[in-house]
Amino acid sequence: MIDFERQIEIFKLIGKSLKESVECYAIGGTAMLFLGLKDSTKDVDLVFEKKEERNLIKKVLEKIGLKESNDIEIYRHSETIKESPILLEGHEFRFDLFLKDIISFKLSPGIKERVKERHEFDNFKIMVVSPEDILLLKSATDRRGDVLDAKKIIETFNIDWDIVIKECEWQTEHGRKIFSLFLFDFLEELEEIGADVPKNVKRRVRDIGERKMIELLKK
Amino acid sequence: MNWQKVAKKLEGFQTVESIEKTLRVKRATAINYVYEMRKRGFVHGESRGRKGKRLYEIRPYRKISAGYPGLYEIINANSPIKVVRSYKTIVYRKMSIEEAIVKAIETKNFRLILASLALFKKVRNWYRLYKLSKGACVGRKVGALYDISRKYVRKMKRMDKRVENLLKETKVKSKYIVPRLRTEDFKEIEKKWNVYIPFNKEDLERYKE
Repeated sequence: MIDFERQIEIFKLIGKSLKESVECYAIGGTAMLFLGLKDSTKDVDLVFEKKEERNLIKKVLEKIGLKESNDIEIYRHSETIKESPILLEGHEFRFDLFLKDIISFKLSPGIKERVKERHEFDNFKIMVVSPEDILLLKSATDRRGDVLDAKKIIETFNIDWDIVIKECEWQTEHGRKIFSLFLFDFLEELEEIGADVPKNVKRRVRDIGERKMIELLKK
Repeated sequence: MNWQKVAKKLEGFQTVESIEKTLRVKRATAINYVYEMRKRGFVHGESRGRKGKRLYEIRPYRKISAGYPGLYEIINANSPIKVVRSYKTIVYRKMSIEEAIVKAIETKNFRLILASLALFKKVRNWYRLYKLSKGACVGRKVGALYDISRKYVRKMKRMDKRVENLLKETKVKSKYIVPRLRTEDFKEIEKKWNVYIPFNKEDLERYKE
């Protein structure tokens, strides 16, 4: 586990070791730590847009003693992965370094526009995604504990469900066609554990999935 | 009382009056609510509105006090011209005023540079400003913008003469402060520093108000 203070220390260390500027997006537990929603997290999830930048971070992390792991099956929808994340383990925590794709999810222009905070550790710049996007990404990673984190997000924030629907549409159109099905499943799970998911949201997500399926069948 | 739920209901910018209305409570209760939420970290910011009313930024999650304000935040705190960005920037190495001036010029953003003119008033270490601007290849641009700000910003400090001479000798990558933007209003300053000024006199009127 890694807490906020330690996470900051590591990011500072990375920032100091970088000779050129590297930008990435914090999702999942890392984003939740930045927003004060969690005290600690098991894994630091970062999304990069450039392969070279991800490799630079990988090198720095290996220097501080983290080792690459292949335990990709921690992700429920791992069979849908096109570009595997780099997983680095050590010191009782793990770094998951994604490149544009986050399991069944794509880093969309909408996510970039909705960024809430930008943290600058010298040359290492981290953008914190919005609560709506953390929620959506939780449905894509769907690891143990993700559903509980998502419930906490719904309880804490006034989630703009229109953003969730719009992003689901975008992902179904430009990313994995079955994303809406994963999201629908995830929303059902959330409802089961008592999260307040508006009824019409589930219906709209199901409609997106059905529409896409009919479209694919026609082809 | 679940203060997080109260904060969720009040998320956004609120005054005591708007809290009274939203929660249907008396003024004294609304003030107490703000006090309790502030104690628990749900009040992220406090400022005075135009009529002197207190404006509270309430968020349903706890404010984390880490890092220092970023470039936009420094400019907004020191300049009458405000700049907006959809996200908040937090830096983990304190940014000095001198560094902020250089960074603003590096962005090549018209409004950001215009707003940053007020920062010259807060410069403490002119030599540091020279060093930083030389490193970023914007030395002459700093000198020219300082001369503009001396004309328009009130109570501007005088730049150290030695630093001014040093700045004149620095190299710049491009003469344009903002790409392809040049006006006819500050010919003397342009000639002195051999760079192009992007502002005209009207742009700077805001500093005289």
